[in-house]
Amino acid sequence: MDQQRKHTILMVSDFFYPNFGGVESHIYYLSQCLLKLGHKTEPDLNAFAFKIGLVVVMTHSYGKRTGVRYVTNGLKVYYVPWRAFLMQNTLPTFYLTLPIIRTILIRERISIVHGHQAFSTLCHEALMHARTMGYKVVFTDHSLYGFADVGSIHMNKVLQFTLADISQAICVSHTSKENTVLRSGITPDRVFVVPNAVDTAMFTPSTCRLSCDEIVIVVISRLVYRKGADLLVEVIPEVCHLFSNVRFIVGGDGPKRVRLEEMREKHSLQDRVEMLGAVPHARVRSVLISGHIFLNSSLTEAFCIAILEAASCGLLTVLPDDMVVLSEPDPGDMVHAIRKAIVMLPSIDPYAMHQRMKKLYSWHDVAKRTEIVYDRALQSSDENLLRRLPRYLKCGSWAGKMFCLVMIVNFLLWCLLDLWQPVESIEEVPDLVFIRNEHEDVRIFVFLRLNGFRWRGMDCSQWVFGDAFIPSSGSGFCNRSGKFQWISEVAFIFRRVFDLRQRIRFRFVFRNGFGGLRLFCFVIALLLCVLNSVRFESGVSLIRMLVSFD
Amino acid sequence: MMSEAPIFHSKYSYHHDGKAQQLDIHEILVKRSRLGIFLSYSMVVVFLGTNVYFVTTKVFCILILTFFEVNIRSIWSILVCFLLAKFLHYNPVKKERVVIMPAFGVQLETHYWSGRIVRLFVPISKILSSMLNECVTPVTCYWSLALLLRDEGELMLVFQLIRSVQKLQPPLKMLVPVWKALRAAINCEETSIT
Repeated sequence: MDQQRKHTILMVSDFFYPNFGGVESHIYYLSQCLLKLGHKTEPDLNAFAFKIGLVVVMTHSYGKRTGVRYVTNGLKVYYVPWRAFLMQNTLPTFYLTLPIIRTILIRERISIVHGHQAFSTLCHEALMHARTMGYKVVFTDHSLYGFADVGSIHMNKVLQFTLADISQAICVSHTSKENTVLRSGITPDRVFVVPNAVDTAMFTPSTCRLSCDEIVIVVISRLVYRKGADLLVEVIPEVCHLFSNVRFIVGGDGPKRVRLEEMREKHSLQDRVEMLGAVPHARVRSVLISGHIFLNSSLTEAFCIAILEAASCGLLTVLPDDMVVLSEPDPGDMVHAIRKAIVMLPSIDPYAMHQRMKKLYSWHDVAKRTEIVYDRALQSSDENLLRRLPRYLKCGSWAGKMFCLVMIVNFLLWCLLDLWQPVESIEEVPDLVFIRNEHEDVRIFVFLRLNGFRWRGMDCSQWVFGDAFIPSSGSGFCNRSGKFQWISEVAFIFRRVFDLRQRIRFRFVFRNGFGGLRLFCFVIALLLCVLNSVRFESGVSLIRMLVSFD
Repeated sequence: MMSEAPIFHSKYSYHHDGKAQQLDIHEILVKRSRLGIFLSYSMVVVFLGTNVYFVTTKVFCILILTFFEVNIRSIWSILVCFLLAKFLHYNPVKKERVVIMPAFGVQLETHYWSGRIVRLFVPISKILSSMLNECVTPVTCYWSLALLLRDEGELMLVFQLIRSVQKLQPPLKMLVPVWKALRAAINCEETSIT
């Protein structure tokens, strides 16, 4: 471990826990598997040119959840106190996120910044700032977008800007790669396809096989246009009419739920169609195992994890030929496909399907493939601003020049920030390692650095504190050498206090950090109002004054 | 095993005196930059000079009105000068001291350049634990040392007793010895009770 430099990855996205969704679970599972890869035993360390040391996630604050949190296995999450303004996205301020991103990148010794989801403004800003500061950048696109409507056009332009100067990109399927390449104009050889996976340990088939007397079709999705809720409205009555032993379970919520309810009323299907409403992620498995067939009616999907989850639970759905029944997005065709599925049903073995899923899709595999992408990203050359600017000019005749200007201003602001707060004044964070010993007690060890070099020289007398703790067994990490016995209970206290008083600290911090500034601004505003009311006769001239600053 | 030599980092310096009359004294001193003081005072003078007109009249109320006579153009310059003066403002804090009296309590002191000293004593029985927090604000991230007190919802900060625009943010390597000493004092107290 001493010979190889450990790399730290920063995952940036607006979407993370406590929000639930495809992107959120992707980031979470990928980070966990990367952490596990980083702590493997010695022989595997030399497999790649670098090694993952740490993964840090950055997202915006969710309600009262702000500050630094540690989730499973020591994954550090920064909930930066920028408020979300639209659909869980932070307000796009372009340059205001530069100080905090720079601070996080320096103090965590980040090597690669990995952004997720084209719709996330925080991701785009972080990637822009990271590129300005010279870090290697990777982007993962999770969704398909159109080309025609106004929203898509703007989104595609922003994506073009971000991907113009990226090290590598990842897409979750070949269709998604095609879509991303067309939207952003990036060269296809820089895009890797790394599919999502499913947590097969969580989605296991039911222990008792359901009888085929009554066939249950499960639908779990957001009830929106894009997920084909309108198709469902046509298909369900048709199928219920054709097959008397078929029942539907519909889980999920959305704007189209009203239409489904109406359909139920119209065809008197209250006893045959069960509407569950929004299903929390933890309960999805229990809903899935109560059915035989999983129906997915999405009009467009980059990668449907829901289908994988269903297949992992042993339901007949869309996958390799003997697990799949495909159809066109047309009600008649869908009914025909359901008929075929019902006929196929007796020959399906849920456990065999689950085993196949386990082999085909696993997050560890995804993590290994992502490591290859990081490896490739790190091998790309370092370039200065002048070399990078021509790439932005290709984005369009007007847009290209505007993007160049944006990057130049960003660079200047970064230089200014370097003068205001030099790199030396930002302290690096001590490393935390979570280790379980044979008592299953999580002991947290802190490794402090000396002069920026890890484990260089053992004159650490001024860094030793706490009692020496020697774990009797545990991971190879600790037994590797006697050096790793620096113990601090910094994080141990964190853990205890987290259990006790999680919110108080962060609420206090947020308030404290802003109290003085808010008061100051308020006083200034009040002063200005008073001064102006004395000076001018009417309020109109006040407004005029505010608008025209000389 | 703590070193007696002072630790220096940018404008902070840490001193520890562990032998004075059985008290454990930790100090963090803040350096004042002369340029900062000069700039902040000159900005205040500029602000006053450009924006406030003194007109000599005999009538008192006219004097008051014209005192508030503010030029439209100078609204912007008011803001700029004020902000610059504030942000380049020298930190009024000269040093922060933590005096740990074993089995008795902890005294937190703030010494200002003007000579004022603010002291706060916390009895040892009231302290549950001391901790190092990572505080995240929209523009930066720093460490702070805080005390967790019994029966109180708020954490007590050790080194930021005053709320000012320029906060005292000593680096982690200076906070760690203080934290350790506080922990030792609290643990001794706990073991003596049980």
